[in-house]
Amino acid sequence: MNSLIKLELARALRNRKFLFFSVIYPAALFLLIAGKADSTTKVDGSGLTLPTYMMVSMASFGALTAVLLGNSERIAKERENGWVRQLRLTTLPGRGYVLAKTAGAAVVSLPSIVVVFVVAAAVKHVRLDAWQWLALTGAIWAGSLVFAALGVAIGYLASGDAVRPITMIIYFGLSILGGLWMPTTTFPDWLQSITKWVPTHAYAALGQAIEQSEAPHTQDIAILVVFFVLFAGGAAWLYRKDTLKA
Amino acid sequence: MTEPALRRTELRTPHEHDICHPVLRTVDTAGRTTPTATIDHMTTTATATTTPVVGFDQVSKTYGSVRAVDGLSLELHPGETVALLGPNGAGKSTTLDLLLGLKHADSGSVRVFGTTPREAIVAGRVGAMLQSGGLMEEVTVAELVRLACALHPKRFKADDVLARAGIAQIADRKVNKLSGGQAQRVRFALATAGDSDLIVLDEPTTGMDVSARQAFWATMREQADQGRTVLFATHYLEEADAIADRVLVLHRGRLLADGTAAEIKAKAGARRVSFDLEGEFDQAALRALPFLTSIDISGQTVRIQSSDADATVHAVYGLGVYPRNLEVAGLGLEQAFVAITEAEEAKQS
Repeated sequence: MNSLIKLELARALRNRKFLFFSVIYPAALFLLIAGKADSTTKVDGSGLTLPTYMMVSMASFGALTAVLLGNSERIAKERENGWVRQLRLTTLPGRGYVLAKTAGAAVVSLPSIVVVFVVAAAVKHVRLDAWQWLALTGAIWAGSLVFAALGVAIGYLASGDAVRPITMIIYFGLSILGGLWMPTTTFPDWLQSITKWVPTHAYAALGQAIEQSEAPHTQDIAILVVFFVLFAGGAAWLYRKDTLKA
Repeated sequence: MTEPALRRTELRTPHEHDICHPVLRTVDTAGRTTPTATIDHMTTTATATTTPVVGFDQVSKTYGSVRAVDGLSLELHPGETVALLGPNGAGKSTTLDLLLGLKHADSGSVRVFGTTPREAIVAGRVGAMLQSGGLMEEVTVAELVRLACALHPKRFKADDVLARAGIAQIADRKVNKLSGGQAQRVRFALATAGDSDLIVLDEPTTGMDVSARQAFWATMREQADQGRTVLFATHYLEEADAIADRVLVLHRGRLLADGTAAEIKAKAGARRVSFDLEGEFDQAALRALPFLTSIDISGQTVRIQSSDADATVHAVYGLGVYPRNLEVAGLGLEQAFVAITEAEEAKQS
């Protein structure tokens, strides 16, 4: 299994286009949104300045991009071209493929998080304690597993031409509703009452709590855990279904 | 010819290699002039004592209302090179999928080396190349082959696998930049990454030109010569004829014929006899000739397919006619195969 994981990692790091998209793009978007913001105005209801707030949003967005976009499309493609079948003729256990894919995504999501942090600290002078930087990195990286599971589920659910639009709709939906592009406090009330339950909102809230030197809220963690169980369970179910009909 | 005879005898007794090997070597070298006879003899004696490589017992698989495999029973024995032959939709791919555990039978049992297909794969006893088997893209050929080797319990060295599959010179090329024939060779390399006892190939020469195909079969023969059991599905019927010890003809999910290529041809009326007759002749008498499988009389020319051409020709002279321009020719397996299939369809309708 390790050999496949190693190869998936090598391939992920070799894919320049995808690396650029998921590593550079969130950092660039951060500069675009937070570029002109001063460092004193607080984002409504958060007690954080816009750059600090958006740093976590964009790091989360970058991680989401890395784990969701890459895997769903690749899994769907490899199911279709028969690579998944070929792997089933090896000693590789069934979970090995999904684990390798997740590892491949995680190795891209980490730099995409770190690059946003570095840009925020260097350009927008975001200052946090050392433990906060570490906790942020860890929380956002670990939280991205929820969406990695979603990516796998989509990869087993959709196929062919459908996988890209489906992924994109979910990707943009999660990004916008979760407040990764703009604080949800700017949304109308009725929408805010919905976005509270969106997993990406809980995901970004993890980081924002850490930035305010708080422990992440139980509700956010609970939401993420529930969605993780849902996505991973769905992925496992779809995987088994796919195996039977393959 | 020494090698094929050799490996077959070795494989009859897979658990006693060390003891039997030297003894059998001398026997083979001596009896090499009639390797086919030797093989057949060995097959029958070995069948009783060894676990079949593959055993299908009354296996059925249905998709909706289509019976892809219908009560199929067959056994493959160690060291055989077996061709699985049949038109599209005959159930070849489904049969191989069942054999490899990619699909599960609705009823009946599939055993590989006496275990389930998955257990046989995990034990490293099966290497397979699927028609529908894709490749991981954006990695190099060498990386992919190294992966296949790493995943095989009885792995070979990746460099050797590359060399044997004839892809050492494209080892650094990206998998998604390969031609169809090259990709097939990479698939073959994946199937032969370790010391498997059974190699399964589903239409392996698809997408290859003639010379690539010949080179490929030479490579595959090496696998067989090393004592492996080889099962391949093919559309290239002349390949089954040229390469397989044994041919299984599949039609509508059932086994239509099982024998050597020569036997299959015989079964289908494998020789064509043609001659011209002058003047008046008795058509009914011609149609009543022994061993006929078909007859076509147009004008003065008579064309016959016969399962025993010698006897048929003898009977022609017995009619007291003087056949001119007499020709007796063998049927290719392809025509034999068409004949068997048509006969079967005629029987059913």
